[in-house]
Amino acid sequence: MVRKTSAIASATLALALMAGVTGATAQDASKTEPKTFTIGAHMPLTGSLARSGQAFNEGMQVAVKLCNAAAPKYQVKIDLIDDESTPAKAVSAVEKLASDGSVAIIGGYGSNIIGPASDASDKLGKVYITAGAVSDELTKRGLKTFFRINNNAGYQRGIATLIGDLKPEKVSIIASTKEAPALLAEGLEKDLAAKGIKVTVHKFDPAITDFKPIINKIKLQDKPDIIMMSAYENDYVGIIRAAKVLKPNVKLLVGTWSLATPKMYTEFPDLMNNVVGTSFLPFPVEVKSAEGKTFADTYKQMYNKDIEYLSTLSFVETMVLCDALFRAADNGTLEKGGLADEMRKTDRDSLLGRIQFDATGDNPNFSLSMGQHRNGKIILVSPKSAANGEIVYPGVPW
Amino acid sequence: MTELILQALFSGVLIGGVYALVALGLALAFGAMRIINLAHGELVLLAAYMAYLVESRTGLDPYFAIPLALVVVGAASWALFLLVDKIQDHRELNSLILTFAIGIILTNAILLIFASDMRTTSSPALQDAVSLGDVFAMRGEIIAFVLSVVLMGVLWWWLKSSWYGRAVRAVSSNRNAARLMGINPARIETVSFLVAGALAAFAGVALYTMSVVQPATGHALTVKAFIITVLAGVGSIPGVFLGAVLLGVTEALTVTLASSALQELAGMVLFLLVLFLLPNGLFGARARRG
Repeated sequence: MVRKTSAIASATLALALMAGVTGATAQDASKTEPKTFTIGAHMPLTGSLARSGQAFNEGMQVAVKLCNAAAPKYQVKIDLIDDESTPAKAVSAVEKLASDGSVAIIGGYGSNIIGPASDASDKLGKVYITAGAVSDELTKRGLKTFFRINNNAGYQRGIATLIGDLKPEKVSIIASTKEAPALLAEGLEKDLAAKGIKVTVHKFDPAITDFKPIINKIKLQDKPDIIMMSAYENDYVGIIRAAKVLKPNVKLLVGTWSLATPKMYTEFPDLMNNVVGTSFLPFPVEVKSAEGKTFADTYKQMYNKDIEYLSTLSFVETMVLCDALFRAADNGTLEKGGLADEMRKTDRDSLLGRIQFDATGDNPNFSLSMGQHRNGKIILVSPKSAANGEIVYPGVPW
Repeated sequence: MTELILQALFSGVLIGGVYALVALGLALAFGAMRIINLAHGELVLLAAYMAYLVESRTGLDPYFAIPLALVVVGAASWALFLLVDKIQDHRELNSLILTFAIGIILTNAILLIFASDMRTTSSPALQDAVSLGDVFAMRGEIIAFVLSVVLMGVLWWWLKSSWYGRAVRAVSSNRNAARLMGINPARIETVSFLVAGALAAFAGVALYTMSVVQPATGHALTVKAFIITVLAGVGSIPGVFLGAVLLGVTEALTVTLASSALQELAGMVLFLLVLFLLPNGLFGARARRG
């Protein structure tokens, strides 16, 4: 009898619990569970561009964390594929991400990779955003789904303004034959020549490791006031090292992306002092906007380091995409191709300044400051409106 | 102009010396076993990262990493040989695929362990400029060149005069005949791979002291080493040195007299030219004629 009563009691309790759970679940569901969107991303996590890809991934992950924290109605999930620094892998990554249900694609690094990958994305009708491809050719294709936040023109403007203000007689440009640095060098050559500066360009194969023959040519034949490097991090190290050995009589070394970063100073302190590169933040980091401060704090928390150049670019592109995605979801246009329209309506401030997209998907407002390495700090020295210190000129690392 | 050409020649010879050091191990394995070790560049890279590890953790000069590099790269080379030795059929072709795959695994292992950042020596002594008259170089480059010449001499002497060296040449020449002479080919091949690994260890440490390394560097090193081995002719140690210096000087002169964008192209043109005119390489052909 006792056993029977106990069995009935247990069954009643179980039923009550089940009913409670079901009821609770139904109640939760009625509280509108956040809708989850998957954003696809392909980054060069391995291969020759792995360093850039990993920095990009970090910025993107921080942005997703902040997007999710700020939007109670929606959640974003990243589906990331390593494109191994190759265009073919990037194209197949885009196709896979689209077939797996990604609503948009965040592109990786390198104009030669982004080009075919964004073509594939356009054919599949997916919005594609990048911060790692500055070639002018990309925005001449008339793609309706392609967007980027930075471009060659912005880098060119930043460097040309600095060099123009310094009024040198001669400038030697050392440029990698890779697409983006080569285009930048061509644009700068025209800009500087228009300012009456004599420019010599030395293009080099990216496989080069010994830059002494080039620097010696510059030292003995060009005799410039400024050496400008349109290249990548490993090239900068080789070029500056060769210059340190041969000591050409120049007044300044100027470079482009990924040069005026705290990381470069930490890793190569003997090579970086007084070298100038494109930048948007001084170091120690002085972020004024609330979004920037949150980004810097979260980044520090997640990766135990200060924000860096490439991570900041990918942070901004991901935030822009999230904003547009949530707007399209709010308007109920996401399923009808409304994301591209919302991207075109973008008009927001960011760590890179104001972000808008023109008809080609380019950000016409993109412009960078120039930062000078100064004993572990990075001082913004140009343009004057953004400067937080005077440039050391003449100033070389040796 | 003379000053420019002198500097180009000097830089070319120095970089050629380092190319030779990188190519030696590949040339030895190719000469002794007809195995093109496509993971050789990654073994060199592994040694370079050992140098980074020792320098960054202890603050010692990177050359103090040589014992550690010898152990780590020697072990990796031995493991590689054990895998290659398992191949029963079409050894030359299958070993090519196997070593290529191992190269990819090594690259990604290095990427996982050491991250994708660039690494190079921070030793001011190795980066200091050294001038010889009107020409300049980094001290690290001079040391690497001297090391290359010394190792080349030691290897040449070992192959020519030691029992093991002669056995390597015998196995390379005719495996079955060598066996009939009481030589154990498997043992000799193990020794060849271990010596190739040791050479890769020295090359990697030297490379770290004068250049920038990152996980993707290994493949480029293998390609360069392969070009030099073919330029030299199979099994020729002096040929490796001369082929490497020829390549280095051609590249440097191309930069000086033409365009730096043509440097790699000039190297490949030289490679094709030698293949076309001397299909057995610079020294392979001479030996056969002799």
